[in-house]
Amino acid sequence: MTSNPQSIMASSRPLSTWDRINPARYIGELSETRFWMYLLLLPSALLIMGVVIYPTLYGFQLSFREMRLNRPDLGTDWVLLKHYQRMLSDQIFWISLRNTAVWVTAAVTIEFSVGLIAALALNRNLPGTKVLAVFILLPFFLPNVVAGHMWALMLDPRLGVINDLLVKVGLLGGYKAWFADPSTAMAAAIIVEAWHSFPFFTLLLLAGLKGIPTDLYKAADIDGAGSISQLRLITLPMLKTVIAAAVILRVIGLVNSPDLLLILTSGGPGRSTQVLSLYAFQTAYKDFNFGYAGALSVIMFILLMMFAWVYVRLSKVNQD
Amino acid sequence: MVEFEKVTRIGRVKYWEDEAMNKNFNRRSVLKIGAGLMAATALTPSLAFGQTANINYWHTFTSQSEFAGLEEVMKLFKAAHPDIVVTQENIPNPDFMAKITAAVLADSRPNVTMVSSERFADLLAMGALTDMTERLANWDKRSDFDDSRFDSITKDGKIYGLPAFSFVDWMYYRKDWFEEAGIAPPTTYAEMRDAAIAITDPSKGRYGFGLRGGPGGQNYINNVMEAFGSPVQQGDQIGLDRDKAIEGIAWFSGLLTQDKVVPPSAPNDGFRQVIEGFQTGQTGMIWHHTGSFQDIASKLEPGVEFGTLAMPAGPAARVARLAYAYNSITKDENADASWEWIKFWGEPDAAIAFLDKTGYFPASNSASADPRIADNPLYKPAAETLVFGRPQPSFPGLAGWLESVVLPAFQRALIGEATPEQAVDEMIDGLNQAIG
Amino acid sequence: MATLSIKGVRKSFGSVEVLHNIDLELEDGGFLVLLGPSGCGKSTLLSIIAGLEPSSGGDVVIGERTVNDIHPKDRNIAMVFQSYALYPTMSVRRNIGFGLEMRRVDTSSREDAIGRAADLLQISHLLDRKPGQLSGGQRQRVAMGRAIVRNPDLFLFDEPLSNLDAKLRVEMRTEIKRLHDRLGTSVVYVTHDQVEAMTLGTKVAVMKGGVIQQLADPQTIYEQPANMFVAGFIGSPTMNFLNGTLENQDGKLVLHHGEETLELSGVAKGASAYVGKKVVAGIRPETFSKGAGPSALTGIVDVVEPTGPDTMVVLDVGGQMISARLGSRERPHPGEPMTLSVDTTALNLFDPETGDRI
Repeated sequence: MTSNPQSIMASSRPLSTWDRINPARYIGELSETRFWMYLLLLPSALLIMGVVIYPTLYGFQLSFREMRLNRPDLGTDWVLLKHYQRMLSDQIFWISLRNTAVWVTAAVTIEFSVGLIAALALNRNLPGTKVLAVFILLPFFLPNVVAGHMWALMLDPRLGVINDLLVKVGLLGGYKAWFADPSTAMAAAIIVEAWHSFPFFTLLLLAGLKGIPTDLYKAADIDGAGSISQLRLITLPMLKTVIAAAVILRVIGLVNSPDLLLILTSGGPGRSTQVLSLYAFQTAYKDFNFGYAGALSVIMFILLMMFAWVYVRLSKVNQD
Repeated sequence: MVEFEKVTRIGRVKYWEDEAMNKNFNRRSVLKIGAGLMAATALTPSLAFGQTANINYWHTFTSQSEFAGLEEVMKLFKAAHPDIVVTQENIPNPDFMAKITAAVLADSRPNVTMVSSERFADLLAMGALTDMTERLANWDKRSDFDDSRFDSITKDGKIYGLPAFSFVDWMYYRKDWFEEAGIAPPTTYAEMRDAAIAITDPSKGRYGFGLRGGPGGQNYINNVMEAFGSPVQQGDQIGLDRDKAIEGIAWFSGLLTQDKVVPPSAPNDGFRQVIEGFQTGQTGMIWHHTGSFQDIASKLEPGVEFGTLAMPAGPAARVARLAYAYNSITKDENADASWEWIKFWGEPDAAIAFLDKTGYFPASNSASADPRIADNPLYKPAAETLVFGRPQPSFPGLAGWLESVVLPAFQRALIGEATPEQAVDEMIDGLNQAIG
Repeated sequence: MATLSIKGVRKSFGSVEVLHNIDLELEDGGFLVLLGPSGCGKSTLLSIIAGLEPSSGGDVVIGERTVNDIHPKDRNIAMVFQSYALYPTMSVRRNIGFGLEMRRVDTSSREDAIGRAADLLQISHLLDRKPGQLSGGQRQRVAMGRAIVRNPDLFLFDEPLSNLDAKLRVEMRTEIKRLHDRLGTSVVYVTHDQVEAMTLGTKVAVMKGGVIQQLADPQTIYEQPANMFVAGFIGSPTMNFLNGTLENQDGKLVLHHGEETLELSGVAKGASAYVGKKVVAGIRPETFSKGAGPSALTGIVDVVEPTGPDTMVVLDVGGQMISARLGSRERPHPGEPMTLSVDTTALNLFDPETGDRI
């Protein structure tokens, strides 16, 4: 850091006129300094600022303003914490928050369990698993909207094939309107969601399983660990990082996307399947209240950040 | 009144010039032409299409019959205006407001948009609509339309659209079931309830009434409250009469909770489910508008298996909405071509062609007077309704309040999670939020 | 009493048979090395012994039990893997004690056993670390600790040293030998390294193509290889194979190789049957010594490689290259003629057609 490149160049030979004005020379010299690193980072930093940070900050500031598209008479003034205060006494917000917790916890639990079972099965490389893998992954390739409509039809109280099957095998006395009954609407929606997204876990867990050396299981066989012990003491600990990443990604996805519930129940009946993302969506696009919708989104954002932080802490993925 | 149908078709379909192709177009040919068109537009922006105007049209048609009607109108338009190319785009109802809001904010609007009266206030407030007063004043067919037709698309003396067709509320009933049970078609809410009780027979899977408690049902809930004496809007006054509203909600939700004359799926039943329930013989009466006539006639024989009736009267008022699907200019570019397309829906030929395919009533007087309508007894209730029917209320925030407050609150009453009192209180709170 | 006997074990993957009718016996406390090039079936055989892989036929008997249908954990064996197969998420302590933990041994006796094993392997200071924090040699010790802690009937080692560098490999080899001497437990040890086989084994099974070529103690394997494969596989530099014709000259057997004649005395009795036929003489490099004699070869020095204790000389004898290990003082120059006499008592003759020793 003591010698500066210019002096080295100057001392090595006299500079010609061209050398003095040659832009390549300046760039060359610049590239020797420690600022070069930041200059190289600048374009991507600007891109991130523009694409990620600006919209996020915009959303934040929106939550502190009055912004009702269908009420230009109210203006777009700053209203400080008005929206957040309203939230405290907003019954629907609290119901949505509770439903979100139920929705996300149940869906992730089922998706993880089914996904793990599928991944373990596929990892055995038995004959036919390749074809099976395609079938297992199929639901994930369906867009949410398509999956939603498909299930809405299959669960239809008049034409639904599921009602038909359940009645035929004798589990149901008559056709049931799954989404019209608050005690089954959420459960039915969670099952549809789990059906749709469990392959996400299968895919990631399978990749993780492939990375576990088979010798470990042989050693465990000899050490006398049964399959449950092997799963609990070898497989799951080895998958810890993958599981943590998958769970966080899935939770974010579940908290943020209202589309499936929008199609299946629109939050109903009553508010029994109303979740935060759907509430924010409706507040923005049905009520045109972008300020309050912004505040709801900010709360979701904060909750997700907190979740990710606590989860990473608890699962100790950073430890190794 | 516009349906909040479940999405049955997604995406955009381009109708194109060749008539034969219109009849049996397939995706490949549409794609091919679409790609060719894009290439041509890119290469020769003003040359080849110097005298051809392209306009795109956003609408919320849903059913097969509606698509057939639109196709027919476009075919006629193509013949009359070879220089204007209309590209229609189907926007599913649940997505409509989100899409149009995004389009307005991003300035990527369609040239012409179908506007339902309940959305008018919101769309106008966000600046999506263009003042069409002057064009209408200079139009030679203006006298075919009663002034009242424009009420729900007029604000401060300015008119923002032209009615394309009407939504006339009425009800369908199973004529054969009523005759079998020996009961007369109802004219009041009380009679309707009695009839529903009479024809309900759970052992046959028969229910008296197909109540729409799912998406789109909010408008009927509001109508019932108004019929019991609690209109949400009276002139400049916005608000609910709590007691009357509670009576209305109690009666309406009682059809399921007390009388059990409604299928248990009602809290989640939207357009598709209600129509299917009637078509398949699950329900004996449904409320809808004339636009579903052909769809129902495709499954049940008109005049024999099913009949049509004017909406029954409530204790305080007989509420049947007369609403119009307006077409509005939503973009300055090619506004003249857009106006030609909008005007065309007012031509009797186009209007009758659309009625033939769908059952939607024309908005113009000359078309309504056509013998095909006037002489058909099944359309008589609609003609009656034109006399006493009333327009939808209209104020900013109404659509949002109906959908995200009224409907869920009523659902809570339907599923027994809230009393009618609690549901109405929820509605009143939500209304204050919406207009506050 | 034999700790392990294998009777007619076969293994096929689909239509490919990788083990043909293997018979083996290992005496109590013995150290059996399965030696062979990769793909010879030695690791498969080990897996079958461990029970990690089912055999397609035959019996595996450990102690006095036929264990064909017995789960690995009930065979009372312990295994050390080439990859060590330590559980990465567990501490060294838990790794070592895992087999005991799974067998529900109570904590205090488990701790005792872990402590003893760790002391024996000098890894007591590593017990609380995770495998990821250990060096290759340390992991190797932990893997062995995990094997010995349970006091099994039989240790199975699957190429345990091949992931270590040369110096550590020699160290650990000695360690394994010491451990075996001290514990006296029978061992089956798979390797492709003939030095490991020679130094460790009390019995070596040389395998090729799913067949045991020779099963004998290391000395026998070295001095009397059953065939040319075994002869060539064992020893470094490898045994010289000299083609020639066997003849009876004045009542003595001689081998003609070009112009050279080797007088053979003390070779196998069966040799006389080969008089007049072509044979291959296998001569270990160290059986040469400088100077003429009744059995001597003369050639031109091609390469000279002093290694310190020895000098390796490659000699061109009528077009065939012969390696010889000579004393360190010998420093011939390339291009010089040289005569080497052969200790024919250590010479082996092979049938060139079957490759078998005569």
